Order: sequence, then C-alpha cells, then structure tokens
Amino acid sequence: MNIIPWDLGAIPSRFFLFGEAAWYTVQITGLGVLLGLVIGLVVALGRLSSYRPISAVSRAYIFLIRGTPLLVQLFIVYYGLTSIVTIAPIPSAVIALGVHNGAYIAEIFRGSIQSIDYGQMEAARSLGMPKGRAMRRIVLPQAFKRAVPSIGNQLIIALKDSSLASTIAVPELMLRGRQMGSSTFMYMEMFIIVGIWYLLMTSVLSFVIHRIETRLKVSDRD
Amino acid sequence: MTEQEQQKKQIKRKKKETIDPNAPFLRIEKLNKFYGDLHVLKNVSLSVKKGEVVVIIGASGSGKSTLLRCVNFLEKSKDGKIFIEGKRIRNQESQLNKVRQNLGMVFQHFNLFPHMTVIQNVMEGLVQVKGVPKDKARKKALDLLEQVGLSDKADVYPAMLSGGQKQRVAIARALAMDPKIMLFDEPTSALDPELVGEVLTVMTDLAKQGMTMVVVTHEMWFAKEVADRVVFMDDGIILEEATPEKMFSAPEHERTLEFLKQVLPPQDSE
Repeated sequence: MNIIPWDLGAIPSRFFLFGEAAWYTVQITGLGVLLGLVIGLVVALGRLSSYRPISAVSRAYIFLIRGTPLLVQLFIVYYGLTSIVTIAPIPSAVIALGVHNGAYIAEIFRGSIQSIDYGQMEAARSLGMPKGRAMRRIVLPQAFKRAVPSIGNQLIIALKDSSLASTIAVPELMLRGRQMGSSTFMYMEMFIIVGIWYLLMTSVLSFVIHRIETRLKVSDRD
Repeated sequence: MTEQEQQKKQIKRKKKETIDPNAPFLRIEKLNKFYGDLHVLKNVSLSVKKGEVVVIIGASGSGKSTLLRCVNFLEKSKDGKIFIEGKRIRNQESQLNKVRQNLGMVFQHFNLFPHMTVIQNVMEGLVQVKGVPKDKARKKALDLLEQVGLSDKADVYPAMLSGGQKQRVAIARALAMDPKIMLFDEPTSALDPELVGEVLTVMTDLAKQGMTMVVVTHEMWFAKEVADRVVFMDDGIILEEATPEKMFSAPEHERTLEFLKQVLPPQDSE
C-alpha cells in the first residue's frame, strides 16, 4: 500500500505524451507575443504621438485591454465574433494573446522610449535627421535594449496565460492535461506533468533572456 | 502670364537668392521665449558675421543656452525671426531638416549615440541624412577623427571614452555635415577640469580655420583668447556686446563687472 495516494511512477512514463501539446503551447505563445510586439510598438508610438486622435485611440486600446480579463477577450474572439466571422481555435488564441499582450508591451515600449535621454533625439535632429528616422535609428534601438528584461517577463506571463486557450479547444498543454486526467483518473499526476512542462519552458526562456541581456550590455552605460 | 511678368518674377527670385556679402551670416531678430509665465528671452537680437567667433557669457539662467537652442529650433520661440545668409528660417519640418545640416550643434552632455561606435557616430549624419555612400563617409569620418586626435578610438563605443574624448567625437560628428556655423552649448561644463583643455584646443583650431562659431561657455580664457566678440547676457537680454579686450577690461555695465569679478580669478599683483 502506498503512503502517497498517487501513482508518481506514471509521471515519467507519461511525460512525453505531452510533447505535442507543449509544442502547441509554444506556437500560440510565440505567435501571440510576436503579434503583441507589433501591436505594442504601433500603440506605443501612437501613445507618444503629438497628434491627439492617434494618442487617444492608443490610450483607449490600452485602457480596454488591460482592464478586461484575457479569458473574456479570448471568448469574444472565438465565440463573440462568430456572427461576423468564424475563426478557428488556434488563430483565435493567437489573436487574443496578441491583442492582450500588445497592450502590456505597448506600455513597456512607451516606458523604455521615454527613458531614453531626450538629448539623443535632439542630437539626431540637430544633424538634420527627420523625426521618424531619428526615432528609428537612434531612439528605438536603445529603447528596445532597455525593454528586453520587461519583454522577457511578459513572454513568461504569456506562456502561462496561453493555458486559457484550453477553454476554446486548442490542443495545448492544459487541455491535454485535462483530457489525460479524465481518461486515466490520475488528475494529480497529469497536472504535475503539465506543471513540469511549463516550468521547463519558462526556465529555458529565463535562461535565454538572461543571455540576451548580458550580450546587450557590451556597448552600454555612459 | 506675359513675358514681362515672367521676367519680373525671375528677377525677384534672383534677388531673393543672391546673398549680400555684407549681410550677417546669422541674424536673430527680436526673439521672445517663454517657459510658462517665465520670460526667458526678451526681444533678443544678435548678428554673427561669416568667420566670426562670438562667445556668449552670463550667469546660469540668463538665457544664453536657450538663445543658442532657438537658433536651430530645438526650442521654438514665441516670436522673432531667424535669418541664415539673409534667408528667413521658418518653423517648418522640411526646411528645418535642411537648415540644421548647416548648423553644427555641440551639446553640454555630448549626446553621443551610445549604441554606435565612435566612427558610426560620426558617419551617421553623412549616411542617413546626406546619403553619402558608406565607404566615402567612413573615410571622411576618419579624417575628422584625426583632426580631433581620436583616430585610434574609431571602433570603440562611447562608453569607453573620457568626457573630453566624447566631446571631441561630438565635435567631429557635427563637423561631418560640413556645417557653415558651429553652435557650442557649454561644451566643457560637464567635464572634469583636466579635460577642458583638450576640447578648447580643438575649438581654437576650428576658429583658426575660419569656422563661424557661436559659443556659450563659462571658460573666460576661451572668450578672451579666441572670441572676436563677447556677448554678455543677463536676465533674458543682451546687456552688452564688445570685443574681448573691452569686455574684460572696461565693461560698460555695473552688472557685467559684477559677473566678471565672480568668474575671473583675482589678478595677481606683481
């Protein structure tokens, strides 16, 4: 008779049955954050625009998205939009994750752009560089560098948030865990496996982010 | 349009374009600048001739840096006019980007681009603004670095340089655009005392080569030795303009004398 009421031996033996699901998690997170980076940059520049309507739209976007749960956004994309357009589960998850993370990444970018000494923009402008190009050549490269730690943090949050996609039938880790749990009745074992997979992936991400950070420090500090 | 009218128009245009050789290179006319309620520049007018070195002195807060920054529109003045080679400069993006290429600016805090190497800093304007091919730009940048005595630092990042070296790179970066006038905004104020000399030397050389310069500085030595004209600003106005000899030996205003007493070391009586 086991002291522990669970069959822990099932963990290593079933571990790799979750590989494909983990790959789905990686894909929707990766694509979602990629979309989020694009949205984030556009919205950040919009917020910083001196043209009122654009900065107002950007602010409204951040207000709405940050103020509502990802799950609501996910359901709006997957279920809510069906009367206009039907979007398959995986694209729905990518869109919702992208839109959601876009708002947070926009704030990260805005903060890092504003943290760059205004003298950088002035120096570029004093060479006769137009504003847009000064932003692209001088301010943004420095701002991106400063944004790396926060973006990395956001990426880890997004990876875990992607588990919500299980609610719209994306065959990712969390859904796989629920299915495996109900078919074997080994819920604890299966969710421990799911947890370990997430932990593995977030550890790899942390490591990679840390490596990027140290590499970027070369030219830094003045 | 009749032929006559066309001719008239052409003449008019020509008149606009020809430059009066005696016209000042830079003319600032009745500039006013406010920060909120604070009136920092009060009807300031100033002219600078080609090849002239004008040094602006004055206590901090007297508006000297603001005046300099208004010249290339880093600060927008409320009213007043700025003419370069007789041509009125308007606050218009497209025109400003062109005009600024002729106005080299050197900042108190250098403002080098930290994500670029020294030579990339110097090349940036040439490549990105003037569209010079990279190999040509590199050659020119190396020449300029040589001129400021830093050719051995071409491939390091600004973070590796001392303040004096940074400022010399910043001067080279501004010179790369072949400016017709150089504006220096307290170029040595952020430097350790022992590094001031190397920057002033580069500036002195530049003045000797005939560069038109407007320099805001607290280095009275530079004003005395290099300036053709010294301008004393006080509380948003130009209180006094004179040759360095006159300014430092017999200023007209009590306020100027007071300021000079404070910044000049007491004369050793020997």
